[in-house]
Amino acid sequence: MAGNWLPAAQLTGSGRPVLEPGEVECSLLSSVDLLSEENPNFPHLKSGLLILTTHRLIWVQESSTTSPPTAVFIPLSAVTHIFSLKKSIKSMFASPRFRFQASLKGMMVVITLILRGKSDIDSFLEKFWEAWRRKAWEDGVVKSGPEVSGSGHGSGGDGGFAVRMPVVGVAGILRKEQEMWENTDKSLQDAFQDLNALMGKAKEMVMLAERMRTKLLSGSTSQATGTNDEEIGTKEEMQELLLSVGIVSPVTKESAGALYHQQLSRQLADFVKIPLERSGGMINLIDIYCLFNRARGTELISPDDLLRACSLWEKFDVPVMLRKFDSDVMVIQSKSHSDDEVFTRIRSLVTTPDTLRAGITASDAAMTLGIAPAMAKEHLLAAEAKGLLCRDVSPDGFRFFVNLLQEIDADDIFLVKEYGIYHTWIKAISAAR
Amino acid sequence: MRRRPGIGGLQNAAAARDQYRLLGENVAKLRTDLMKEQLATFRSQLEDFARKHKNDIRKNPAFRAQFHEMCAKVGVDPLASNKGFWAELLGIGDFYYELGVQIIEVCLATRPHNGGLISLDDLCKLLGQRRKAVRETISEDDCLRAISKLKVLGSGYEVITVGKRKLVRSVPTELNKDHNEILELAQAQGFVTVDEVQRRLNWSSGRATDALETLLEEGLAMIDDGHRDGRRRYWFPCVSSVSSYVGTDAL
Repeated sequence: MAGNWLPAAQLTGSGRPVLEPGEVECSLLSSVDLLSEENPNFPHLKSGLLILTTHRLIWVQESSTTSPPTAVFIPLSAVTHIFSLKKSIKSMFASPRFRFQASLKGMMVVITLILRGKSDIDSFLEKFWEAWRRKAWEDGVVKSGPEVSGSGHGSGGDGGFAVRMPVVGVAGILRKEQEMWENTDKSLQDAFQDLNALMGKAKEMVMLAERMRTKLLSGSTSQATGTNDEEIGTKEEMQELLLSVGIVSPVTKESAGALYHQQLSRQLADFVKIPLERSGGMINLIDIYCLFNRARGTELISPDDLLRACSLWEKFDVPVMLRKFDSDVMVIQSKSHSDDEVFTRIRSLVTTPDTLRAGITASDAAMTLGIAPAMAKEHLLAAEAKGLLCRDVSPDGFRFFVNLLQEIDADDIFLVKEYGIYHTWIKAISAAR
Repeated sequence: MRRRPGIGGLQNAAAARDQYRLLGENVAKLRTDLMKEQLATFRSQLEDFARKHKNDIRKNPAFRAQFHEMCAKVGVDPLASNKGFWAELLGIGDFYYELGVQIIEVCLATRPHNGGLISLDDLCKLLGQRRKAVRETISEDDCLRAISKLKVLGSGYEVITVGKRKLVRSVPTELNKDHNEILELAQAQGFVTVDEVQRRLNWSSGRATDALETLLEEGLAMIDDGHRDGRRRYWFPCVSSVSSYVGTDAL
């Protein structure tokens, strides 16, 4: 729709924007119109979700009937001017709006944003200004340059340093080595003076951390000097296990405001995909609470928020669902792992010649389906409730048989329909005798 | 160095090589030691910052992302709130939530070894190790409180008492694959004992007892205390056909 003017933004399965590396979400506003008052050709985008990131301004169509929501973005680098807010009597009654100028497709366009929702326009503008001035998108571009030389400098053998100081023989190498350590020490000291210093040097410190990590890890594997090294190694492995799936831009109350739970819910749906696959389609809600919070770093969410985010899934088209057992245990399961799929497997399980005759128990089902017995029992009882199975309670225990009663005609109970399960059952029984 | 002919020359060259190698090793060792020292400084500084400037860090999304990256890379836990007076008294603040996350993490990390059953002592010890920087010991009561905060998310984590010890079970019955292993084990004879499960599957006694008790509650197992050796036998009529356990009885 806006394809001519604005590039389309990629969305995740649950309708959240896919962020570029290094891009972080700053603020969200709901029901925002995006249009150009001067240019009639410019599309009028009505009532969408506006997401301000450090790199872009993303407009996402709010959930409508058309299945895949569309999204477009304006790179902040294209913004050339942000007009300050005009306060007038008129503006007190109309929905708040603000304008900025951007160069799109080689043309200067003044774009107006109308905020129809109840939102704090001043604080949004402030964040917009901040992100625009900060020019975070440039970091990414510049980064690719020094990173190459940075890693070279890290490996300790070469280039940048050699030019400055003549390296002669062993002494030269040692001197170079020492200088490197002094530099690192100094930059560590500088960076941790106070928070502002750390913020300024954040990028450098991240690189230093990376360098230390790779060196120590490679060192401990090749040398294995002692228990201390191993301790660090295992500790780091453990951390890595959980921190590796980090969420760079967690949805927070501060950035999302009123949209907090809704956005959190979507982010969670995207997040659980990987852990869910690893654990075979079902995972304890409490485990997810830990993994999700770990991925969010310091942005902890409370158990209540998590539960609310999960319960909102019913309203969105996401491939996961929350399930509560009678025992009050709550799990997250993927929809492909849902009851229907399990019922199909149970059906095929109870219709083999052996099981037609002898039925199955919960533990049989557990072993064949590769799930816990308690879970298998749940599934069997659910299948019984659906009319797929019949139970038989005997001294032998609780056994389930395929339900033949559905095929038996009330008017003629001796009629055996050919190729039905009843027919197969009779064959199986007579074969056994 | 000019190469000279003869055995003497070869020996000289070898000696020189040895010396270089020695020097190289020394430098490498020095390098690792220094690196470790710097890493330690880096870590403690990050931990300090995480604690002191928590709110400021949270206010700036871009910096927050970088801060997390640093923490992850050098292995610092960014969750390090002090318990504080109010947390202790009213259970408010982030302390118990953070502790909760760390408890689950320990449970997850140790699950491959213990099948999701960990004693409260061990849990406290492991938590203490992770929170070394905060210099605050975690009591069992803190753990219990933190776990009770997770109740909202269902009864997936339970504190159970086996004998005198308190255990934390992080795998609910519905997801417990231990039971399958016991059933498989029982297929051979139709019954198992606690000892046998411990020995054959290499489990702790708590883990074996808990799993068998649950199977008993679920109605999958029957107990038999009447055998000559005095060991309780857990029979699983469901996994062995009638004929096979009649057979073993006759033996």
